[in-house]
Amino acid sequence: MSRNLARALGAVALALLSVGASRAQTVVTIGIGTQDTTTNTVTAGTIVRQLHLFEKYLPTDGKYANVKFELEWNNFTSGPPVTNGMMANKLQFGMMGDYPLIVNGFTFQSNPESKTRLIAVAAYNRFGSGNGIVVHKDSPYFELSDLKGKLVSVPFGSAAHGMVLKAMQDRGWPADYFQLVSQTPEVGSTNLQERKIDAHADFVPFAELLPFRGFARKIFDGVETNLPTFHGVVVRTDFAEKYPEVVVAYIKALIAANEWYRADPKLASEKIEQWTGINKEVAYIFLGPGGNMTTDPTIKPMLTDAAAQDAKVLQNLGRMKEFDVGKWVDDSFVRTAFAEQKLDYDGQLKSLANYEVAGEDTFCKKPIADPRAAGEVWVDGEGIAPFSSAACTLGAYSSLKAKGKKINVAYVFDTARGIKLFADQAYYAVGSDKTAIAPFLLKKDAEAYAAKNGGRVLGFEDAVKAAISGG
Amino acid sequence: MDAALKLVEPLAQPPEVEPPAATSPAARPMSAPHDLNKLSRWLALNRGRVRAFLIGAVSLGLFLLVWHLLTVNRLSFHVRFVNVPSPAMVFASLTKVGQDAKFLAHVYLSLRRIFIGFALAAVVAVPLGLVMGRFRLVREIVFPVSEFLRPIPAIAWVPMSIMLWPTNEESIIFITFLGSFFPILLNTLHGMGMVDPVLVRAAQCLGAREAAIFREVYFPSSLPHIFTGLTVGMGVAWVSLIAAEMISGQFGIGYFTWEAYSLVQYPDIALGMICIGVLGLASSAVIRGIGRMVMPWGRK
Repeated sequence: MSRNLARALGAVALALLSVGASRAQTVVTIGIGTQDTTTNTVTAGTIVRQLHLFEKYLPTDGKYANVKFELEWNNFTSGPPVTNGMMANKLQFGMMGDYPLIVNGFTFQSNPESKTRLIAVAAYNRFGSGNGIVVHKDSPYFELSDLKGKLVSVPFGSAAHGMVLKAMQDRGWPADYFQLVSQTPEVGSTNLQERKIDAHADFVPFAELLPFRGFARKIFDGVETNLPTFHGVVVRTDFAEKYPEVVVAYIKALIAANEWYRADPKLASEKIEQWTGINKEVAYIFLGPGGNMTTDPTIKPMLTDAAAQDAKVLQNLGRMKEFDVGKWVDDSFVRTAFAEQKLDYDGQLKSLANYEVAGEDTFCKKPIADPRAAGEVWVDGEGIAPFSSAACTLGAYSSLKAKGKKINVAYVFDTARGIKLFADQAYYAVGSDKTAIAPFLLKKDAEAYAAKNGGRVLGFEDAVKAAISGG
Repeated sequence: MDAALKLVEPLAQPPEVEPPAATSPAARPMSAPHDLNKLSRWLALNRGRVRAFLIGAVSLGLFLLVWHLLTVNRLSFHVRFVNVPSPAMVFASLTKVGQDAKFLAHVYLSLRRIFIGFALAAVVAVPLGLVMGRFRLVREIVFPVSEFLRPIPAIAWVPMSIMLWPTNEESIIFITFLGSFFPILLNTLHGMGMVDPVLVRAAQCLGAREAAIFREVYFPSSLPHIFTGLTVGMGVAWVSLIAAEMISGQFGIGYFTWEAYSLVQYPDIALGMICIGVLGLASSAVIRGIGRMVMPWGRK
């Protein structure tokens, strides 16, 4: 009631200001639609909110001297409700994945009051990892073709839906190859647990979260589609034209949130677990060093190209008419933010580098040379230790366990695709030389590698044994 | 439960909706237009209903007109119609979806689910309410549980329902069942509370046994309330439908609306809403019609 009153008063005050009749303090309400559980948007939403970073960068001088900002944060579990809130002008900023973003831009085309613009990227994966398909852990499916004719659910209109369509298109499969149905993450997860569906395709963090919670196994990673995926921030143009400095301030807050996460990924992941309920080990696999998401606000041509392809997929489905992605992207705000923070936008735009696992391997006693062949072990209450290879990681895991330490999780990297994996979910190709252990997400990749190098494929427990006996 | 589902299955087959009571008699005199005398007599007899029908039609027309004017002119006076789809847009999406059989399949499946869920709720809730009204111990046992479960919204039941039932169809029917169960139960109970104790004592004095009192006194006097409960229950069953059909992920008018939401297609959302409204209206009219048949004494 009082909030409505304040908003009404704010509107009146604003009207007065616009005719220059008043010098009284005005209130500008900024609505921001976040997706707390969608881990790759936390640096654009959750962290900015919790650390009050936006407030820190909001302009206070010049035409804003008499303006008081009020932030209204709204949390949703997917993109469409954010778009709905933005259409209603209850939200001015929103964050979501690539497909919902395009639907957002397209929906606003018919809005006479305002359009939306993509102003920054929250996080991306250049090969499409983050989206994935999981099956029940006891099911007999190990790769995508095993699911022929099976019941597969995916939230329609999401980035994961796009991944499924792209994967089918790449393989030349007909539209009825799977029995594709639409289910929200909440419904799909429960259905998979109860084995009412054969597989569930979903966006970040569910393809990692469900295996981590112990009932699912990932059999397809978006990386196989080789089409970049990203989450980004959109803003209403009527708001951005009126308060461009506020939009720039928001992007500065986003940059600060990225820096905060990278400064201490372990602490940040623990905080994210506290704020969003997503396990810290899962947040870390996405946003930690060498993680499956690169946080980088620059709008790379590679990502806008991918968005144009996504738009085509939606058009082919008859879900959308013409939509010009180029016109919808506006990097002027993020460029200004970079310039004002004395950062090199064009340099960052060209860079596709993530930050990587680094340091000294205390088990094999050597520095980490190849970060994407390395591994990490998270010891409960102590911290995350890096190791130089998969064999060293498994060896260290076993030795730490023998010392009675409680291990939260261990990470290794897929040998073929470079994506970060939970060590206990991976398949390992072990050759005659036991120091060379190659982890894989997919059983078939591990088998192909083992066949080529004269080895065999082991599960996690056996691979740990092999690592000790070899070391 | 399975057996019960099969039992009512055949009943669920005819998906056609009975035409509203007011229009069916109107068709008869049209077949014999030469007999003006008959027509005028019919008009005199049914003046009230013709009047209600005409006023209803005008009011619906006005609603459409206001909707059209508000949305076409994109009016905005605190309440904003800027992005609300106009009737023409909704009609366009109706003609689009009307062309493929899928939409009819959505409607058919929803009707089937509503019918089975509602029928089960009526079969369980009416006798339970009667027994609860008659025997204090049963009421004292059941009432706290039902009052505790009643406020839980349908959407909150979704995950539990998926885990409880082996198939999704059963999960969906369970949620529509829950939606209609509580209004029917409460109204039946209320009806039992309104039974005139003088009538019960009179029946007892005349030597009626428990079964006879039930059949001749309790049941007929609580019937009006039972039918109120059934009408309200039918409405709530439709309310629960969107939540329930989120589970299906494939079919149902609730799912159609939900999918339109996830792709932000406002005209389709409105179409789904209107469809649910019309189907809800029709099914409540059916219940009221049955009520009039069962309780001829209640007719004005």
